Amino acid sequence: MPELAIEVRDVVKRYGDHLAVKSLSLSVPRGAVYGLLGPNGAGKTTTIRMLLNIIAPDSGSVKILGAPHNDPKLVDRIGYLPEERGLYRKMQVRRVLRFLGELKGLRGSDLDRRIDSWLDRLQLRTNGQDWGAAKVDELSRGMQQKVQFIGALLHDPDLVILDEPFSGLDPINAQALKDTVVDLKKRGRTVIFSTHIMDNAERLCDSVCIIAHGEKVLDGGVAEVRAAHGGRMVALGLEGAPTSAVQLVLNNRALVARADDSNRFLEVELAAGARAPDLLKALVDAGASIERFELVRPSLHRIFLEKVGATHVEDGLSGQG
Amino acid sequence: MDKLLAVIRREYLERVRSRWFLIATLFGPVFFGLLMFLPALIASREKASGDASKIIIIDATGVSLGDRVAAQLSGGMSGAGGHSQVRAVRADSLAPAESLATKAVMSEQVKGYLVLDSSTVAGHRARYSGSNTTAIFDMQQLDRAVQHEVLGMRLEKSGIDPELGRELSDLNVNFTTERLTKRGRGGSGNVSLFFGLAVAMLLYMTIFIYGLNVMSGVLEEKQTRVAEVVIASVSSTKLLLGKVIGVGAVGFTQLVLWMGMSVLMWTIRAPILAKMGAPQMSSGLPDITPATGLILLAFFVLGFMFYAGLFAAVGATVNSEQEAKQAQMPVVLLLVCSVMFVQNVLFTPDSALSRTLSLLPFTAPIVMPLRMTVAPVPALDIVMALVSVALGAVFTTWLASRIYRVGLLMYGKKPTMREVLKWVRQG
Repeated sequence: MPELAIEVRDVVKRYGDHLAVKSLSLSVPRGAVYGLLGPNGAGKTTTIRMLLNIIAPDSGSVKILGAPHNDPKLVDRIGYLPEERGLYRKMQVRRVLRFLGELKGLRGSDLDRRIDSWLDRLQLRTNGQDWGAAKVDELSRGMQQKVQFIGALLHDPDLVILDEPFSGLDPINAQALKDTVVDLKKRGRTVIFSTHIMDNAERLCDSVCIIAHGEKVLDGGVAEVRAAHGGRMVALGLEGAPTSAVQLVLNNRALVARADDSNRFLEVELAAGARAPDLLKALVDAGASIERFELVRPSLHRIFLEKVGATHVEDGLSGQG
Repeated sequence: MDKLLAVIRREYLERVRSRWFLIATLFGPVFFGLLMFLPALIASREKASGDASKIIIIDATGVSLGDRVAAQLSGGMSGAGGHSQVRAVRADSLAPAESLATKAVMSEQVKGYLVLDSSTVAGHRARYSGSNTTAIFDMQQLDRAVQHEVLGMRLEKSGIDPELGRELSDLNVNFTTERLTKRGRGGSGNVSLFFGLAVAMLLYMTIFIYGLNVMSGVLEEKQTRVAEVVIASVSSTKLLLGKVIGVGAVGFTQLVLWMGMSVLMWTIRAPILAKMGAPQMSSGLPDITPATGLILLAFFVLGFMFYAGLFAAVGATVNSEQEAKQAQMPVVLLLVCSVMFVQNVLFTPDSALSRTLSLLPFTAPIVMPLRMTVAPVPALDIVMALVSVALGAVFTTWLASRIYRVGLLMYGKKPTMREVLKWVRQG
């Protein structure tokens, strides 16, 4: 059994003059929940499509579950939920699922049993109602997403690839999705999903990779990434509004690189070369009445903004991004 | 292979289950029924219309020609009595009688009036004025009645026994046509023409309708973005092939159902026609041997494959119905080409034009079957046409699968012709 579920080496993909992915390398260990993070147009969907052999990289190699990504046997072991959701609108839900299952090599009563169990599990079939008998058209958007999610998981794939799975989900359905991801991990499956919602990534992922402009910005385990970027952030709680003396300290660029007021407390980033005790001493000297002074690990969100920069976010390339 | 079958099954079942399929399947036989019974019904009107006798006959002959014509119109000697009013007038009071009759026609009391005078008796002319002069069969009947009675009168005048005169003038030659080919007799000329046209139209319609169906199927998968899930599980070539085969099988099913029901109708048409009081038409379809039937179906299958590939490619390059309407034009024009020349092929099936059209891959699927049903075609020509369409179909399928693969995941702006050609090269 190879250790890596996904191994991408120096992959390049260009669309005309636009370089969508620049020499990207990724390693996703087996059994991990892996987050592919990046702004719109960063190359997440392009990368995912190359993993799935929907499009071919211009150069570089992709190995999935130890086999080259164009191995025809692979498709039955991968479950895929694309970013752009859609089902055959006029078709009965159960027939759509049967079709999607058949495309993954499932047959007959085994397939029907799996469909039933998933419909029950995601509450599309309850005592009162069986949405499986309805046409896709008649379902709400959230329910349609569930159906598509079932379609991706019916064949119990070893590798599950979810492209922006949380977009458009209400909190209840989002929770159902998270529960399922956790369950997949417990059963040893590998899950890779792309998102730009850092909160979800931070809570669900073992490892992440942040990409921007088709390039890897950083990757690694969530804990390591946060630790590597830790020690520079101070959560500072003050009683009342900062006095002018305190404000002077916070504006001192030798000590503080940036201070964000996040309402209940201040997120303070230490300036290069400055140490936390120096800041604490300066604040005490300025007469600040401190309620909280804590060295914190930055959130993925903070790291993301720091690494990618809010200005790097590009819109409008989601079709190929 | 299993996945290809899954795609075919979905395409086939979803369409066959639809209400649209049911309606179209029922519409076919109704259409053929009309084509089958309408000519007979029209022909039967030749007898049934009583209009020809609901007229005024102004008789200025002085020899009661009017009475004889009226009797003839109402069904000859055995007739049940006519409705035509005969007004015997003197030659010099013809004008007032005519203006009186004109008023009667204008107030719709009668359909028209017939003027008989000395020149009619001399065998030169008779005049009819009325509101129904475009009713060809009624006019023919009127014409025949006048000719018949003038002839009868002149025969009697020349001293022939009235009995003998009637016998001589009562002639009714039934003129029918029959087509001869190298193989022998092949039904009446009219039936063959009609049948050839029906086959060509049927092929054209099914190829067109189901070709468009493939296109809208591709477009639907693209618009709903199902394509991406499907393409992650099955290769684009298999998806395309499955779609074409599945939709083609629906068309095939419909054709077979239509043919079956039409044959059934044809076999029971005699009692139905009898009930309608229409005359029996000359028997049967032209001889269709099983081999010919198979060749016709082969042309449908290959022709459909040829056009379905093109339509699928069009569907993959567009993003909306509106764009599709524009982009499908070249393909539709190619298809319409065959229909534009139907008349030429029907009337001159052996001309150089007909022969060329029946060999070109984009017209052969419709023109060759048409040519085959109206004239004997050398076996070599048929084989050449089949090979040409088959090669064409392989080419369009290859072309389509390359365009399909790239186009299916391209959203947003419509690609230019140059970009599409680039897709084909990259494939």
